[in-house]
Amino acid sequence: MASVHESLYFNPMMTNGVVHANVFGVKDWVTPYKITVLMLLDEMTISTSITLLDRRRLNKLILPLLQSPDMTLSQLIKTVEDSCPQLAYTVHLRLQLMADGELKDMEHFFDMLPSPFNETESEAHKTSVVGLFMRHMVLAYNKLSFSQVYKLYTALQQYYQSYERKDSPAAEPAEDTDMELTNTEELGGKMEKEELDLEPSDDEVSTRGPLSQKQAEYFLAQQAYLLKNDENKALDPAALQKELNNMLKFNPDFAEAHYLSYLNSMRVQDIFNSTDSLLHYFDRLILPGGDSKSNGDEGCGRSLRYAALNLAALHCRFGHYQQAELALQEAIRIAQESNDHVCLQHCLSWLYLLEQMKGSDSTLTEHAVKMAVHFCLPYLASLGIQSLVQQGAVGGKTANKLMDALKDTDLLHWKHSLSELIDISIAQKTAIWRMYGKSTMALQQAQVLLSMNSLEPVNLGVQQNNSEAFAVALCHLSELHAEQGLFAAASEILKHLRERFPPHSQHAKLWMLCDQKIQFDRAMNDGKYHMADSLVVGIAALSKTEGLYRKALVLKARNQTTEAYKVLQRLLLYCEKIKGTEMTIRVMLSLAELHWSSSCHAVALPLLLRSLAVSREYHLQYLASECILHLAFSQLMLGIPEQALNILHMAIEPILAHGALLDKGRAMLLVAKCQIVTASSEPSKQQKTQALEVAVQNLEEAGTYFTKVDCKERVRDIYYLQARLYHSLGKTAERNKCAMLFRQHNQELPSQGVPLITRL
Amino acid sequence: MAALSSQFGDLVEIKKQLTVIIALCRERGLMHSVKWASELAFALDPLPMNELPPPPPFTEEDAQDLDAYSLAKSFFDLKEYDRAAYFLRGCRSQKAYFLYMYSRYLSGEKKKDDETVDSLGPLEKGQVKNESLRELRVELSKKHKARELDGFGLYLYGVVLRKLDLLKEAIDVFVEATHCLPLHWGAWLELCNLVENKEMLKSMSFPDTWMKDFFLAHIYTEMQMIEEALQKYQSLINVGFSKSTYIISQIAVAYHNIRDIDKALSMFNELREQDPYRIENMDTFSNLLYVRTMKPELSYLAHNLCDIDKYRVETCCVIGNYYSLRSQHEKAALYFQRALKLNPRCLGAWTLMGHEYMEMKNTSAAIQAYRHAIEVNKRDYRAWYGLGQTYEILKMPFYCLYYYRRAHQLRPNDSRMLVALGECYEKLNQLVEATKCYWRAYSVGDVERMALVKLAKLHEQLNESDQAAQCYVIYIKEIFECGELMEQVELSTAFRYLGQYYFKNKQYDDASICAQRCCNYNDAREEGKSLLRQISQVRGQGETSSSDLSLPFIFGPLSAKNTPVRRMSPLNLSSVTP
Repeated sequence: MASVHESLYFNPMMTNGVVHANVFGVKDWVTPYKITVLMLLDEMTISTSITLLDRRRLNKLILPLLQSPDMTLSQLIKTVEDSCPQLAYTVHLRLQLMADGELKDMEHFFDMLPSPFNETESEAHKTSVVGLFMRHMVLAYNKLSFSQVYKLYTALQQYYQSYERKDSPAAEPAEDTDMELTNTEELGGKMEKEELDLEPSDDEVSTRGPLSQKQAEYFLAQQAYLLKNDENKALDPAALQKELNNMLKFNPDFAEAHYLSYLNSMRVQDIFNSTDSLLHYFDRLILPGGDSKSNGDEGCGRSLRYAALNLAALHCRFGHYQQAELALQEAIRIAQESNDHVCLQHCLSWLYLLEQMKGSDSTLTEHAVKMAVHFCLPYLASLGIQSLVQQGAVGGKTANKLMDALKDTDLLHWKHSLSELIDISIAQKTAIWRMYGKSTMALQQAQVLLSMNSLEPVNLGVQQNNSEAFAVALCHLSELHAEQGLFAAASEILKHLRERFPPHSQHAKLWMLCDQKIQFDRAMNDGKYHMADSLVVGIAALSKTEGLYRKALVLKARNQTTEAYKVLQRLLLYCEKIKGTEMTIRVMLSLAELHWSSSCHAVALPLLLRSLAVSREYHLQYLASECILHLAFSQLMLGIPEQALNILHMAIEPILAHGALLDKGRAMLLVAKCQIVTASSEPSKQQKTQALEVAVQNLEEAGTYFTKVDCKERVRDIYYLQARLYHSLGKTAERNKCAMLFRQHNQELPSQGVPLITRL
Repeated sequence: MAALSSQFGDLVEIKKQLTVIIALCRERGLMHSVKWASELAFALDPLPMNELPPPPPFTEEDAQDLDAYSLAKSFFDLKEYDRAAYFLRGCRSQKAYFLYMYSRYLSGEKKKDDETVDSLGPLEKGQVKNESLRELRVELSKKHKARELDGFGLYLYGVVLRKLDLLKEAIDVFVEATHCLPLHWGAWLELCNLVENKEMLKSMSFPDTWMKDFFLAHIYTEMQMIEEALQKYQSLINVGFSKSTYIISQIAVAYHNIRDIDKALSMFNELREQDPYRIENMDTFSNLLYVRTMKPELSYLAHNLCDIDKYRVETCCVIGNYYSLRSQHEKAALYFQRALKLNPRCLGAWTLMGHEYMEMKNTSAAIQAYRHAIEVNKRDYRAWYGLGQTYEILKMPFYCLYYYRRAHQLRPNDSRMLVALGECYEKLNQLVEATKCYWRAYSVGDVERMALVKLAKLHEQLNESDQAAQCYVIYIKEIFECGELMEQVELSTAFRYLGQYYFKNKQYDDASICAQRCCNYNDAREEGKSLLRQISQVRGQGETSSSDLSLPFIFGPLSAKNTPVRRMSPLNLSSVTP
């Protein structure tokens, strides 16, 4: 080992970074900031002139002051000023006296400090937070060696002077400009000064002085909490990493910082650093277990198991499923060897999750849930139930059973106050209701989640609202609003989502997909197929099946029937393979529509009947009504309008109650069409007129629905139909009005696409 | 590479230059450079009286500062840096100015070290800074701009920059210093620590002097480019530095790095002969003795060093190694701890302590020790490897993959990491990855000769009998070429497998040779005999039935293509050896 430099040989005791954390056995020590806080506390006990309101504010301030990292004096004084300007001034004055005075002033201060404890009616009780802090400080001060006391005093002076200098910043730039006019020699002097000044200010920004053990712990806990619950309020990744690196440089044994660094690296999808930090954390964690011989082995093994488990989780997050599986197997093996059922249970749920992510359909057994309950792991148990419910919902279990199960888990959640799972449960209910086509219920559940107060103690003014459940609920909400034509509201919600889940974050994909879907639907309604086409790529990137489906829709709208048919057939096969029931039904409906456009209405019928059967089997009520709508249209085209009207009665009610505006409009239009056709076969003229008038009203209703969702083509066609009806009713004024409106619309729109008559 | 600069022709001139630089460095208190140069000068023949170089020129300024300088130098030598700086503050000569700045720098460093012990709290520790650095930088940069710095001044400026973590600037300044004063070894040495890779080295321009060769050799050793380094050192020896202890020690370290134990040991023995009271590098020597389990030699070395100086890091490491060899691991750990107390940045001691804890089955402490080693130097492959081993012992093959991979990254051509990686993959049942690792381990030169056997067994598992046979053949060949017959078990399995393989492929001659070889080993004797019986049986049948005879013709070209053609040679060779 070649020596680097002569100075290394100076002092063999030289330590640089490689020191054990608690060489002195103290967790806290005196810094200038803490002296100032002590002064503040002292003043608070002495002075009697503080009003009650001020005192209350000050009392609220104390805990953050004690816990937070050291602030600069200007920050501190500003904080105190907000609560009580008078006290801030006194503290400032006292500090000034001490800093401008002599060492003995500080010594005197610490001599005087314990006196409040001696009085029995003192405000700061010995065992109170403030009392403990004061005693800590006095103790730490008394432990200081001679040179350390002097160092502390000079640090105090610097602390005060840096505040003074900042207080009068106006003076310096003036000096600088003066200097520039002078000769070169002074230029050097200026540089010197600049350089000397520059660094401390730089340090101030990045590191607010060294942290004590307690402050560091508090900092870590706070940031970890923020990362979990409201990422945007935490420090941004780069700043946090800098802070952590700083902390680790001074104290490499501070293992928790490594864990936070792991979490932080995960935020920016940095696999190298996150793996490194995670493993480092567990390497460090092992030590405490080794201390005591008796449970040392146990503690060590325990952290090993969880180390492997965490590694699996990490690989899972990055999508390395094979690696994740290997790590998980390892965790399971170690856990089995040491009979750790709790860890095993965790492994099991991860295993299930992993299988799901890999796309293979594994089923979590009810047995696993029972085991989890047995080992008193309510979190895992209800997570298991929720997975089972999800499976059941997709697999067509009846709603009452699912809701029953969810109710049971809810009981469990409230009992153990698992707020996170409550959120998930509500989001799940939203999704299930939406799947069944009960938009009102879905809306209600989403609102419940959003307006619910989190169960966790309100900490730092942060509500727990960063979870996937919130993202899901908000996405549903925005889609529901868009369905009702409330596009402004929908985009408002999306804007909020974008802020809360920035694009790099884990759940951002959810709202991205939702956003594009809404845009796509609007473009399709508006007849802007080229825009819709450009969105397809984005959708396909986020969801393969959805992308394919939308592509087929665009092709269909552009009358590229053959291509659309090919895409839909492929999609149908794929969906049947992965058992995506909803998508299968949608695809079959689209296929039926394709058959219509080639006037093969009879061919469409078996497809429609099949999709109706499937949607009934899986209780997808809304899709079922959609199927009926399609069936009725086919029947109308096949010349049996009475039959069509008959079955339409089944569908019209759920559609009007829960449906999207577009579907409502389509349903009403179809009813009107059927009525027009049946009217022609009415025997008496009066009945015929009556029937036509009803049809006109229905058309009117359909028209308002279409206008709300900007469906200009459909609106135009409605005007046409209305004009024809008014004509046959002999209402010339109305007829002319409608004809004029039709003309207006017709001029705006290129007449392309399928005429309304042959379209649903 | 071997072409040294032409100046080596004149050793007398070099000797003169060395004599001058020794005096210059001594005047400025740069004791390590003095030591290095003197060591080198000592290796050359002494100069006759009339050839001695004249003392450095003495200027008017020097004369003026003489008294202040002498006083300050005495203070400096007594490590009273502030006092020295105080008396030098007005001096104008270059020599005095350097000493002035240097004492200020050292005083700052000393205070920093003292303060670390005496700081307010543990977390503040890392923040203790050499306060004088910034002032020094400002003053020196002014002088630097005005081009008033001589070689020593530039060197000091570079050191200050490096301490302030301004590495790029520091490198530039050091390069400038080497141009200005090529004989000052300190500047070169600093560069060795700053240059990170080959590309960086290539992009820099150095003065074309004989010092450059020493520098290049040194940096090649640091960068693990051992071949080049050895070449350089060999040519330096050829030129006439054969007596230099510095070169001998460097060569020994280089051999140690490529694990050429015998050569390294002989170099170290030579070094001990020439410089019996040397303590530097002796920890490396003890590592070698440890690997070779040379107990008496290690014991002698430990006692000897203990007599010379008990409180040196190297001594503690040697004693630690000694105890470790005697399986007294607690005591060994104690001595490594002592070494760390003497110098906490001593990386080798952390790693060795980790090994000791591993021996004591205290895995958590071992992990801690290794982690410390990594913190001191992230590029310490032994610590990464040790961590991997620890987790492997804890039966976490997937977990330890990461550590082995890190170690492999640092030493891409070390077969041990590759074999370890392969074993882990094998445990994880990822046989294809494992075969890749073993094959790579074999191709970079397997130290323990296990990769091939493992590879062969893997191929057996994967039912790739041709590849398996090929591996066994190469393995047998290598073993017999070395003449070592230690791994008998593996040899017998190799022969057994080959026998069966040839038998299956109807190459009865080869099969019977293998079977005969099998009979030499106890554990394979029965199988060998039964195989021989089978062969003779088949041969007996073969003469009667002609259909069987035609089979070898079909298999012949196929097997000849898949198994190496030279497969006969190891067997022939083996029949010569007992």
